[in-house]
Amino acid sequence: MKLTLPPRISPQQFDSALQSFASVVGKDWVMSSDADRDAYSDVYAPGSTDQWPAAAAVAPANVDEVRAIVRLANEHKTPLWPVARGKNLGYGAAAPRMAGSVVLDLGRMNKILELDPKLAYTVVEPGVGFFDLHDEIARQNAALWMSVPGNGWGSVLGNALEHGIGYTPYGLHARNLCGLEVVLPEGDLLRTGMGAMANNPAWHLFPMNYGPTWDLAFSQSNLGIVTKAGVWLQPAPETSLSLTWDIPNEEDIAWVIDTVAPLKIAGLIDQNVFIPSWLGKIVVLGQRKDFWDKPSAMPEWRVKELLKEHKLGYWRVEIRLYGDEAVNKAKAEVIKSAFKRHLDAAPFESWWRQGDPKPPMDLAMGTPTAVPLQMSDWVGGRGAHMGFSPVVPATSEHVMGQLKRSRKIIGDHDVDFYASFTIGGRFANNVNMLMYDRDNATQVDNIKHLFNALIDDTAKAGYGEYRTHLGWMDRVMDTFNYNDNALRRFDERIKDALDPNGIIAPGKQGVWPAAYRGQKKEGAQ
Amino acid sequence: MTRAVRFGALALFAAATAAVAVSAAPPAGPPAGPGGVPELPPYQVRAQMPAGDRLATGRDGKAVFEHVCGYCHLAGGMASNLLTKQMMMMHRPPSDGLLSNRTDLFPAYVKAVVRNGKGAMPAQTRVDITDAELNSVAAYLAKGKK
Ligand SMILES: Cc1cc2nc3c(=O)[nH]c(=O)nc-3n(C[C@H](O)[C@H](O)[C@H](O)COP(=O)(O)OP(=O)(O)OC[C@H]3O[C@@H](n4cnc5c(N)ncnc54)[C@H](O)[C@@H]3O)c2cc1C
Repeated sequence: MKLTLPPRISPQQFDSALQSFASVVGKDWVMSSDADRDAYSDVYAPGSTDQWPAAAAVAPANVDEVRAIVRLANEHKTPLWPVARGKNLGYGAAAPRMAGSVVLDLGRMNKILELDPKLAYTVVEPGVGFFDLHDEIARQNAALWMSVPGNGWGSVLGNALEHGIGYTPYGLHARNLCGLEVVLPEGDLLRTGMGAMANNPAWHLFPMNYGPTWDLAFSQSNLGIVTKAGVWLQPAPETSLSLTWDIPNEEDIAWVIDTVAPLKIAGLIDQNVFIPSWLGKIVVLGQRKDFWDKPSAMPEWRVKELLKEHKLGYWRVEIRLYGDEAVNKAKAEVIKSAFKRHLDAAPFESWWRQGDPKPPMDLAMGTPTAVPLQMSDWVGGRGAHMGFSPVVPATSEHVMGQLKRSRKIIGDHDVDFYASFTIGGRFANNVNMLMYDRDNATQVDNIKHLFNALIDDTAKAGYGEYRTHLGWMDRVMDTFNYNDNALRRFDERIKDALDPNGIIAPGKQGVWPAAYRGQKKEGAQ
Repeated sequence: MTRAVRFGALALFAAATAAVAVSAAPPAGPPAGPGGVPELPPYQVRAQMPAGDRLATGRDGKAVFEHVCGYCHLAGGMASNLLTKQMMMMHRPPSDGLLSNRTDLFPAYVKAVVRNGKGAMPAQTRVDITDAELNSVAAYLAKGKK
């Protein structure tokens, strides 16, 4: 990818910025070739990666180097886009929102600083991947379980800071963060929570500040660069029991939600319950052309045929219980009788006990895997996807409303329907996977129109997304329009106060610093 | 598309998955312990990254491969699954789905795929794998070919 300079910076100025970065990290860790820029592009970009081009990437080894680079970036007016491992596939990967930003790749900062099985937490740097932490827990034989997203290739902190979601009792990953160390936009260093006192041993244990609590102000945020954080982990349970039902019909999701959500809110179910539609089971079995060989969306009759052939329901519900055997048995009885009221079929039951082999691909047991990435092979070519992810209240009324709305819009655009609802408590997180071949221009164009229609119509109905791709960050921010977009006005006042040069992640989540507010239109879809 | 072909593809996938299991029996994982952390497929218990300067030449190619590429390219990993299927479609032995079994890889090819990406595999950055590490991995996978 050719070089796109940061706004108002000449090639000479940019060169001297890179040289100053190299004096901090060494020249090998300043990456500015065309190939480097490609590697930091949005590998799942809908259309050309040139829409969100990084100018270069720089990779510090420790917090002092991060601080030095941030100060130099201010001096040279070269904005930085921090990523942890940069595997944010479906949302922009490592690419920056604003063209010409320099990716601050924290992948080299990958130390696991603490792993405490007694109080069940770890302290990690941003470059620590899910696999790294998993390996370390295994190596130490620590009685701890993790919570992981479907794509296990990313970073424990990066995913949590992006409000990522997993499928265990610790599945709201941002909620597991406790006590952050943050480099502020002008290079100062802050520790949140009890860490604001030097050497306080409760830093990663007590989840609030003395005074306003700032931890989550640094998630989906451009107010600072997180250089380490505490992450709470799940104590390994004595046993675990999973109950799996195939739910025959599309409309059945209504009673499923009204059955599961109260149990989740009451605490009888601990985990985030993931309910994918049938396509989630088929995508890993082969390629689309093995099942439907026309470019048009798979018709209803073919879906029915496939469900029959593969003995699948329209939805799959797997509820996993964690803890002592007697407790799990008792909980299972309550859950089974609640399901029995709507469905005769008994669930498939599978027990796990300490010492048993863990099923390697069970996300609800917190074992990382990259196998779901196989999904990108579904459409063939350079396959990719984007996720449209609105949040709705966890009742049948809201879930059915959203299902019908997005189903119709997706159908109108002649795209296959693959949705999931994750019940995380009082809300359900609805992720619609929209898959496309990056090299098929018509398909990409259609997906972009579809994405706009989904955001707009869903907002009209009163719901917003929890997270989105770079190209739509502004459009989604616009939907949070209460009181003349009070949220954005507030975010931008804080941004300008803390980051007068607008150096950290301009445009992240639709929050633009004064210095670059004029760039907002670029790259927006 | 006929039903037979559709089933054919599925059967192939099932066979490919089984073949990976047979041809690449996982080495023993960590022992089951008090944490209930039992045996896992190799891709979930990778080699540790070799210590030392990541920019220096002569890194341990096998260990780097297992650590950096292992998520997907050890037995049971997503890339091994996809490649096994592709190999079988080309009437090649399913065991060729594992890169470490291949005898037809050249260093330049390995480097090009790693830096440019291929199919479902995204390009890897020089933080993911440094040039020095990539040279070692390419030499390891090429088994002495230049
Ligand atoms: C098949 C598939 C399934 C997926 N399933 C899931 C899923 O179940 N749940 C889910 O949540 N995601 C899922 N994803 C999306 C995504 O791949 C993961 O969320 C992934 O973990 C994000 O990449 P990362 O961890 O490397 O984060 P990064 O890309 O490193 O970070 C994400 C963002 O967080 C911010 N950030 C990161 N580090 C810092 C820092 N140190 N300081 C300040 N800001 C920072 C930046 O804005 C950055 O852009 C899936 C993707 C695919 C392809």
